[in-house]
Amino acid sequence: MVDEQTIKEAIKAIVDHDEAKAIEITKKFIEAGNNSLEIMTEGFIPGIGEVGDQFGRGLLFLPGLVQSADVMKKVTALVNEALPEKQLEKPGVVVIGTVKGDIHDIGKGIVVALLRANGLVVHDIGRDVDTEKFIEEAVKVEADVIGTSTLLTTTMGHQKDLEKELKKAGLRDKFKTIVGGAPVTGRWAAKIGADAYAEDAQDSVVKIKELIG
Amino acid sequence: MGTILTRYGDGTPVEMSADDIRRDLEEGTADAADRGNIPALDKAELDHLLDIFSSPHRFVGVEPGREVVLTYDGSPIKMLRAQVNVDRLQCLQIYEKLLGADTLEMGHMDYSFKPIKPIVTYEQPLLEQVLSVTTAPVFYGAMPNLGLYSQPDGPFPNPSELIPRGEIEAALESYEAAVEDAVNDIVYVSSAMYESGADAIILDTVGAAGDADFLAGLKATEILREKYPGICIELGMAGEFVLGMHGEMEWEGARLAGMYPHEQVKLAEKAGVTVFGPVCNTNTSESTPWNMARAITFMKACCEAATIPVHVNMGMGVGGMTVNDHPPLDVASRASKAMVEICRLDGL
Repeated sequence: MVDEQTIKEAIKAIVDHDEAKAIEITKKFIEAGNNSLEIMTEGFIPGIGEVGDQFGRGLLFLPGLVQSADVMKKVTALVNEALPEKQLEKPGVVVIGTVKGDIHDIGKGIVVALLRANGLVVHDIGRDVDTEKFIEEAVKVEADVIGTSTLLTTTMGHQKDLEKELKKAGLRDKFKTIVGGAPVTGRWAAKIGADAYAEDAQDSVVKIKELIG
Repeated sequence: MGTILTRYGDGTPVEMSADDIRRDLEEGTADAADRGNIPALDKAELDHLLDIFSSPHRFVGVEPGREVVLTYDGSPIKMLRAQVNVDRLQCLQIYEKLLGADTLEMGHMDYSFKPIKPIVTYEQPLLEQVLSVTTAPVFYGAMPNLGLYSQPDGPFPNPSELIPRGEIEAALESYEAAVEDAVNDIVYVSSAMYESGADAIILDTVGAAGDADFLAGLKATEILREKYPGICIELGMAGEFVLGMHGEMEWEGARLAGMYPHEQVKLAEKAGVTVFGPVCNTNTSESTPWNMARAITFMKACCEAATIPVHVNMGMGVGGMTVNDHPPLDVASRASKAMVEICRLDGL
């Protein structure tokens, strides 16, 4: 059981990207004989959620988000060290890129930062990426999820191509797929057969975690 | 009352009850009010929006005498996007003589100041020809587009790659260097076109690459205003808030990241902007009533704060309109009518 004050301090340490404070809270909590997962789930994860929410509302900015992600990475390492082997979870692996013909990568960069902040292993394969390259990379790194981003109505068809190519290669059941980008919707995801649609960076974290289970 | 036909933000038609529309209108305005820390629309305004949505007519409009100026940005691009086979001069004639445009914008297909810089001497004679066959004011416009200043498209390291790797300092320096180059390019092209006879300069989609992009727009405006005191400059934004890609960029002591339209317009005024074009982006998953109420809430606050003319951006994915290359008439006319009748704006 984590007390209210510790939860508040843990959230604040992540939002303020205060590494020293976050480490101090984690160590103190573990040394008191508590299960380290509790401080992670009740304090730090809501903290990084708050970071994502503030970023989406224009109250916190990308460099701050990345620094919070760094702090999150450090406390995650401490929490994992303290966990018995059987409680250690394999982090989800995501391959992400902007589809062929589209060179917009600002939004994708934000998604990558926030996914990493949430403990996922992300392979960012850049922009203007061939459909085949998404599949090659996903096979190579044994990805759980393939994420495709597109800003243009003229290039969103490549998200559909990925679904077709995965089926053709007999790999559709091996990976979960998620789509995003300004013209993309949940209806588009359902229409092309993608597993999920993410509205924004924070939503991509939620949806990918749901996909990985 | 039966159901009312409207659309989602991606243009998909949907039938909603009046109660559902009312609920979405309330949620849309509440979202804007909460994010922007601005007043939500009041009951009378929401009632009026519901009336507009309830109209059985496919196309709605304002009463005679309540019309506003229609300025256009990127007009030639829009015609080429529809694969209409006309050159830019003919396109602007069509906009003026057939579509009722009050101003014309001669933008290049590579709608960014950086790629136009080396070909600006080819733009000048075309501008001269356009000016000789049209009557409406001819604007010349492009985007600051700071994305073109980072690798692989430009000289500076790419912040979108550096930041996720945690190389914050290098990313911030890259943004700062890009601002200076972008300002030089904007001032160079704008000066050349203004001196060739352009009636105004448009800086379009400002802030698309975040706070550095907005800073470049403000700095370039300031320089142009000082250089040409009588110049007309329209500054159109990219989104409802300035994305903090750098986070600490300031202009005249104000941090740019996180600014909403009613705050952006005050800096635009100070920099010397003549006409401000605020933007509210459309959420493709939400309904048009939700998007429209949200957009009008932001725009109303902006218009109330402004002392310069405000021409709200209306079109594909902005101003409550759907994300379609050519937004459907039912949405375009409802959004335009609502915007004009509820906000104290000067043009669309």
